[in-house]
Formats: sequence, structure tokens, C-alpha cells
Amino acid sequence: MTKPFSERLVLLIGIFVAVLGSLFPFFWFVMTSLKSQIHVEAIPPTWWPDGSLTFYESVLFDRHVLTSMGNSLIVASSTTVIALLIATPAAYALARLRLSGKAWMLGGLLCVAMFPQLVIAGPIWQILKRLGGLNTHWGLVLPYVTLTLPLAVWILATFFKELPLELEEAARIDGCTAWQTLSKVMLPLAAPGLFTAAILTFIYAWNEFFFALLILTDPAKHTLPVGIALFQGEFTMPWGEIAAASVIATLPLIVLVLLFQRGIISGLSAGAVKG
Amino acid sequence: MAGLALQHVTKIFGRTTVLSDVSLEASDGEFVVVLGPSGCGKSTLLRVIAGLEPQTSGSVSIGKQIVDRLTPRDRDVAMVFQHYALYPHLTVRENLAFGLKMRKESPSVIETQIAEVAELLEIQSLLNAKPQELSGGQRQRVAIGRAIVRKPRLFLFDEPLSNLDARLRASMRVELKKLHRRLNVTMVYVTHDQIEAMTLGEKIVVMDHGTIQQIGTPDHVYHEPGNPFVAGFIGNPPMNLIEGIVKPAATHVEFHAGALTLHLRAQADVYAERGILGIRPEDVCLTRPGTNHLVLDGMIDVHENLGGDHLVYLEVHRHRLVARTTAETAKNIGQSVPVYVPEEKLHLFINHNRIPLKRHE
Ligand SMILES: Nc1ncnc2c1ncn2[C@@H]1O[C@H](COP(=O)(O)OP(=O)(O)OP(=O)(O)O)[C@@H](O)[C@H]1O
Ligand SMILES: [Mg+2]
Repeated sequence: MTKPFSERLVLLIGIFVAVLGSLFPFFWFVMTSLKSQIHVEAIPPTWWPDGSLTFYESVLFDRHVLTSMGNSLIVASSTTVIALLIATPAAYALARLRLSGKAWMLGGLLCVAMFPQLVIAGPIWQILKRLGGLNTHWGLVLPYVTLTLPLAVWILATFFKELPLELEEAARIDGCTAWQTLSKVMLPLAAPGLFTAAILTFIYAWNEFFFALLILTDPAKHTLPVGIALFQGEFTMPWGEIAAASVIATLPLIVLVLLFQRGIISGLSAGAVKG
Repeated sequence: MAGLALQHVTKIFGRTTVLSDVSLEASDGEFVVVLGPSGCGKSTLLRVIAGLEPQTSGSVSIGKQIVDRLTPRDRDVAMVFQHYALYPHLTVRENLAFGLKMRKESPSVIETQIAEVAELLEIQSLLNAKPQELSGGQRQRVAIGRAIVRKPRLFLFDEPLSNLDARLRASMRVELKKLHRRLNVTMVYVTHDQIEAMTLGEKIVVMDHGTIQQIGTPDHVYHEPGNPFVAGFIGNPPMNLIEGIVKPAATHVEFHAGALTLHLRAQADVYAERGILGIRPEDVCLTRPGTNHLVLDGMIDVHENLGGDHLVYLEVHRHRLVARTTAETAKNIGQSVPVYVPEEKLHLFINHNRIPLKRHE
């Protein structure tokens, strides 16, 4: 079925504006990162880069960006793994058990996800100080896990709820233990939900700035967002380098999303359509 | 292979009693059908037998063994679910193999067993398909295949045909019957469809609201229903039931229901009390039968032609009676006709129990 031309035109313009609007800042950064210093500061600004890779060179070799990236990888992947290990059984229980007050628990989780960061920053800092977690990676992973758990539990619980109970009973009669039922039947079927929860958790931990700045003070332990922000000198704003580092920081996410794209799309739309 | 016995099984969820004091037995190789309306606890009964749900009290034994403490895995039963419950992420072959793999069978045994079952159910060509590529009937076959491939000692079926269309249901009924004859394993089959119960069951267990109403052969529950519920639930159209007052007299039993008064030439151990008189539609005659009978004045209200049979809705002394006849006798609507009721076909119930009518000539 083809729509009339005028309708399609409106659609196309809409899509174009949306894509342009969200991609333009990124596009500008990519352009900037490929310029040389003279062009960056040129007035009026030049559009097209000269293809110089000097910013990349200086970012990669002088500015600890690789170290920060390693730190980010450690923090983001630990957060993802730990959050999912906790969220999966929790979501399964919330989806399956006939608990009284289940609605309250799910509601409470949602509230936790909505706390403004500033409100909990103080207590978290105090707790970490007591535990000796300040300026350590695990000290950062701990609040990240707490903050990402609610969303992960919600996504997974929605998935588990949609899987028919009969399937689980069939598995148990076929000889599965409770653990095998989860690992051999429920998890493979909830895979899109797992991917979605994992990616969203990973992106959150990868991008998070505020707690990373608060908890990590040693430059050798900084994650990427903080590392990049601290490029800023006392009197200068090294736009070119910031742009190059930002591009580098975004690449892993793009790769990740492209890899799991199909799983995520079916995951994000799963709640909407039964089937 | 083994029989099954339930002793005083009760299941309570929170405040609702779903099964109440259920006792039943299936001998080795018997085909038992549990028949009851929707929501009466049939699925719960199967889930208790399978060990998916612990009973509140009572005990379940399979063979000579009490299985109350065994997990579903160790009870060695197979269940076919109402919605098939095939694993969507596995192919048909993997679905069939799943239970065998979980029980650590060797690959060669699994292979031969799958081949055997696939041939029996004629699903060889489907082995590499995923469940969502199959039609309802094909899924049902695979679900049955998954149950029999493991050679369990007891089969449980939870309304396996209710999602199929009428034709497929009829042919699957026949196949299930053949399958049972061939495998000769104890089967418990749950349904709300009385035709399935009558055609498949060697023994029928009629349930309502979590309690057993009657247990017997199909003939027994049909011809000697133990109470008005069974009488009304089995048979299509259901038995005509008339509420009234029963009064014993020296030589006969009187039955009064509004404008209707009947003198039954029989005796029964009753006092004057409320009762229900029942007669099956096929026993209500519009032509004079050879046996002892009562004659009533009727008026034809509605006439339905079912092809072979005809249903005639009659008004008899202000009561509605349905007659099932073969001949197209008197089909003029509004016409007055004599209605003949053979006395030995009447059923009398008092306080939800069947009261035998002892006839004397
Ligand atoms: N886990 C449970 N918790 C509370 N109540 C339940 C539970 N399982 C079943 N019930 C209740 O028990 C009653 C019987 O349910 P069951 O599924 O056994 O009925 P059924 O005879 O199989 O019905 P149907 O023909 O509709 O499948 C229902 O009223 C149901 O609400
Ligand atoms: Mg049921």
C-alpha cells in the first residue's frame, strides 16, 4: 500500500528534521575533530575539515584517553554484569511469584530510579567513605548498579511476565530443575529483554559524569566523560581534542548497538505488541 | 506402567478451596476422563498429580508408590497442555529431544526414539520446523509426541483438543483412542466437552466446584446419573429436569409440579419432600412406545431439524420438555399432541441424590 505523495513528503521532512536535529551536534564534532587547530579557531568557521588527524594523535598519546577508556570499560561492563546478575532473578520472582504487595515493590523500584542524583550524592559519598570505596572503581560500580537496577528489573519483569507459565511447567515435567528451567527455557526466550537491559545499563554507566567526578579523584582512575571534561585548561578550551576524544568515546557504543540491534528493537517494542 | 490413586486430596489457594476431598483411582492402562465445567479445578487436579503444585492435604500415589514428596521430574509423568506449550526457540526435533536430554539419554537412543514417535504421529516432515511455523493440529501432534517420546508411566492431558476446530477435534479423538490402545499406558484426560468424555473414557469422573460428583463408565454416568448436576451436564441437549414435590402413596409415588401431576407406578423410600424428576430428550416420545408409559398433554412450541434428528420443544402443563425424535412426527407449531413418557426412563432426585424407583408390575 503506497501513501499519497504529499503525505510521504511530510513524513520524509519529519524524519529528516528529527535525524538532523539529533545527529547535528555529533556531526559537528566529527567535523571538528578532523580539522587542524587553525581551522577550528577560524572566523568565520569553516565547514569542511582538512582531514588532519593531529587531534587524534595528541588525544591518544598525550592525554591518557586510552587509560580513561580502559577504566570506562571496566566500570561499565562490571556494572552491566552485576546489575543483570541481580536483576534477572529479582525480575523472575516479581513476574512469577504471587507475592502480596508486588505492585508496591515495582512502584518503589520506579521511585528509586527517579531520585535526583543530587539528593543521593551526599549519602553515597558518606557511605563510600565509610566503606573505603572513594577513589576506587568498585566504589563507582556500587552506586551505578543501584541506580540501573530498577530499570533492568522493570524491563526483564515485563519480559518474563509475557512468557506463558505452561512453558515453565512443561520444562519442569520434562525434567528441569528450577535453575535449568530458567537457563534453558526462560532466558533464551527473554534474550531480547536481556540485550535491551544490558545495553541500557552499559550506556548509562559509560556516559555517567556526576558520580564519576565525585567519587574518583585520581586522574589515572578517571572514566572517559570525566577525563574528557578535564582536558579544559585554565585559560584554553581545546575544542579539537575534546571533539576527537568524544568521537573515540562514542565508537564502542555504536559498535555495541549495531551488533545487538535486532535484539534491542524487538526488546524495546515487546511491551507494546503481544505475541 | 502404573495406575494412579488420589486419596482425599484437597487444594486451597488462599481462601478458595479449588479441590475438596478428591479421591479417585485409575487402574494400570486405564483411560480416565475428568469432566467438568470451566473453572471447576480440572487443571489444578492435573497439576497436583504432576507435582507442579503441592496439595494442601491428602496423598497421590502412582503405581504402588506415594509420590507426594517427589518433584515433577521424579514422578515420571508427561503432560500435554491446553496451549501446547512447545518451546518456541527450539525446532520440533529439539522439542521432542528435550525431555530425553534432560534425562541424560544417549544421542543414539534419542535419535531412534524420535524417529519412532515421528512415524507414529506422522510428523517426520516437520522435524526441522519451529513451532510457530506449524498449524494448530500439527502443534498438537508435536505436543503429544513430546509426551510419549519419553515413555512415561502416566499421561496427563489438559483439554488438548479445545483449540482445534470441530473436524480436527473429531479426527484427533479417534487418533488418541488408537494411541491409547497401542501404548496401553494409564491416561488421565481432562475436558469440559462431554462428547470427548463419552467417546474416550473408560471411566468418567464428573467434577463440579472442586468436588467429585460421580465416577463411572460412560454408560453408567449417562443412564444412571447420580445427581441432577451429572444429569444436566452430560447429554446434548441436556436431560429435562422438573422440580416439584414427591409424595409416597401405598401403591405408587405422586409427583406434583404446578399444573402437572404424575402417578408413578413404582415405590421409593421417600417422605413427602421436594424433588427433581428427569427424563432424557430421546426418551420423550411423540408416538406410543411399547412399554409402560404415562401420557401427557403437550403443545408443540418450536421445532428444530438437525438433519438426522429433530428436536421438538414442547409445552407440557406449563413445563418445557425437549423431545429428540427421528421421524418427522407432528411438526405443526401450536399443535396439541399426546406426549408419552416411558416409566422406566424416569429419574428421580431428592437432596441431590438419585432415588431408585422400584417398579412393580
Ligand atoms: N495459583 C492459583 N492461585 C489462586 N487461585 C487459583 C490458582 N490456580 C487456580 N486457581 C483458581 O482455581 C479455580 C480452578 O482453576 P482451574 O484452572 O483448575 O480450573 P479448570 O477446571 O482447569 O478451568 P478451565 O476449564 O477454565 O481450564 C479457578 O477459580 C482459579 O481461579
Ligand atoms: Mg484448565
